[in-house]
Amino acid sequence: MTGKPISKKRLSLDARYSILGAMLIAPTIIVFSAVIVYPLVSAIYLSVFSIYTPTMEGEWAGLDNYSRLLASGEFWRSLLNNIVWTAGTLTLQMVFGVLVALMLHQNVVFRSLARSLVLFPYFLSAVVAVLVWRWLFNDLYGVLSHMLMWAGLIDMPVDWLGSMPNAMISLIFVGAWKYFPFVVIAVLARLQSIPDELYEAATIDGAGRLARFTDITLPQLKDVLIVIVLLRTIWDFKEFDLIYLLTGGGPIISTQTLPLMVYKEAFALNQMGGASAVAVIMMLIMLIFMTFYLRKARD
Amino acid sequence: MNDKSNVHQARSCPGQLSRRSVLKSAVALTAAAALPFPKARASTTIRWWSTQSSPEQLAAYRYQIKTFEAAHPGVEVVFERTSDEGYATQLAAAFAGGNVPNIVTHLPSFAVADYWSAGLLLPFDDVIAEVGTDNFYEGANRIYEIEPGTHAAAGIGNTAANMLWMRTDRMEKAGIERLPATWDELRAACSKMQGRGIYGAPLPYAKNSMTTLVIIGFIHQAGGQILSPDLEVAIVSDEAVNALEFYRSMREFSPPGATNYSWGESLSAFVSGATATGLYAGRVLINVSKQNPRIAEHITCATYPTISADVPPWTFNDFPSVFIPADAADLDITKKFAAWLYRADGYIQQVNATPGHVLPVLKTIARHEAYRDNDIIRRYATEVERMSSAAVAGHNLGWETPHHRANVKAGAIINSGILAEMVQRVVLNDEKPRAVLANTAGRIEKIMKG
Repeated sequence: MTGKPISKKRLSLDARYSILGAMLIAPTIIVFSAVIVYPLVSAIYLSVFSIYTPTMEGEWAGLDNYSRLLASGEFWRSLLNNIVWTAGTLTLQMVFGVLVALMLHQNVVFRSLARSLVLFPYFLSAVVAVLVWRWLFNDLYGVLSHMLMWAGLIDMPVDWLGSMPNAMISLIFVGAWKYFPFVVIAVLARLQSIPDELYEAATIDGAGRLARFTDITLPQLKDVLIVIVLLRTIWDFKEFDLIYLLTGGGPIISTQTLPLMVYKEAFALNQMGGASAVAVIMMLIMLIFMTFYLRKARD
Repeated sequence: MNDKSNVHQARSCPGQLSRRSVLKSAVALTAAAALPFPKARASTTIRWWSTQSSPEQLAAYRYQIKTFEAAHPGVEVVFERTSDEGYATQLAAAFAGGNVPNIVTHLPSFAVADYWSAGLLLPFDDVIAEVGTDNFYEGANRIYEIEPGTHAAAGIGNTAANMLWMRTDRMEKAGIERLPATWDELRAACSKMQGRGIYGAPLPYAKNSMTTLVIIGFIHQAGGQILSPDLEVAIVSDEAVNALEFYRSMREFSPPGATNYSWGESLSAFVSGATATGLYAGRVLINVSKQNPRIAEHITCATYPTISADVPPWTFNDFPSVFIPADAADLDITKKFAAWLYRADGYIQQVNATPGHVLPVLKTIARHEAYRDNDIIRRYATEVERMSSAAVAGHNLGWETPHHRANVKAGAIINSGILAEMVQRVVLNDEKPRAVLANTAGRIEKIMKG
């Protein structure tokens, strides 16, 4: 007599919990679908059509966009530029970042002020940063060329952004300047959590500065450095604004990376299908790094 | 008194707010803010995009907007800037996203042709009729008649974009007696005037619209063309080779950073006195007057030199336009606003904001006393006259010569950067002009067929 109502009550409670659970997770699912799944599916869908951007009308192209891309020298050159830019700027970011973090970990005068100031480039908007650097690089009024001329190192102003390899080197340097504070923050946080006892014990055992750095600091930083490298690789690989504003991908296509190629295909050539194909390929490349990152994060 | 009694007192004390009442008020205020109150603001908003937005021009636009809003209560006009280098991408995104502005001004005619051919623009004949068809200069709107009998847009001005600007004081010092008329004369003049921190010419070598425009001009000034009158690709020619060779030969007279120059940098180089010659439209006049008055007495202009005296000058006229996207909202009031832009009081302010840069297309305005009563127009009457004549006879890639058909793919060719890239390959990479031209021809062909 009493069993059925109790069972009913339990089922209804379960059902209610299920509904509540679904309701609670629904906003996340909706937002996730809207901002990630939809653009992703949309990009893949667009990449198999030949579409004129302003009207967004076009026809089925199958894998033509992909085969055209893979056969074009421009795509491979852009990919190579992308790799050079990412590797170059990331290396500099890591070197500067770790060095500055080690410096700021010491008891130096005005340490708090220095720690705040070092973050400045990272918080600066890319547009403002580029404007400042373009002025520094300017051939007629730029302080960089003037200083080098004053020091007697050069006779004429240097074309920093319009010729190779200067343009790529300048880009890599500005990128490193802009993003190295991220490395500083992460490394500094880790440095502060390394127990002092390890250094004391090593010192007692006769370890010098270099030995303490290579045997204690670096192994302790290893995990955080791997995560930084993976994250910054993903972010630098898809960098657009800094490169576009500084060189626009020039001279010719010497600094054109894949994100710039996407933009050029979509809005300069009005080929949204081709642009989507480049974007999809970019996504596949970044997926490799993301897989590594997720594995590392899980560990 | 303990803490609890304090809290209790605070809650019950008249004149003090309890936490609950503060929360209630916050919720009520949030809800009130979300309620659709009747709009105190305008019920119709017109979005106006333009590539021309110097402070003086913005002041003129504000006047036109203010008078229009006063005459049309309930209408608000919002001005939004775009740029010569950025409009193509911004408009492509706007058309694709269905979020188009109501009215767009000062875009070159070849952009209009591109959008019109894709069915993105509203016929503009009503506005032209409202302004007065006969009031436009003869042929001023011919370039917009892409399909016979229908205008895709109207001219809002003329611009002689590639005038040669010269410093007369430097010419004197260098012993140059007359303005260069041929490339050899120009090279010789630049060579004589260059030195002691002054460069000969601020020609651009970047991958942008200015480099594209300059090489189109050079090819025509060499007697060549990009496309034949029937719109067949005709860029592979001795004339185009000569044009590229000339462009390359001018590199030694340009500042090192010219490989990144666009309109702004090139203009600044001449106005600041860093170069002895310039290549620009009439904006030089107001910029020199305001930014470097020291040289204001020592500047003049002429049509850009050609390869020889046998080849006539070729001026690049952007044919700055005004058009209405077909998907724009509130089309009737937008048309009224488009016509309003030509009203004498506002239009004169607009063209005189940068005297000599955007030249009037209406006969009544060109004759108007208020237009002529301008310090710069009076002071540089000869230069303004030269620019006006050059602009009226001008062409662009959308309409290369009077014998050419309208090229609706001109915008796509220019925005692709193919022509600027061709210049870079020859000048910066030192590649052979003819091979680069052949490659460029193939790429243009693809766009023309696409």
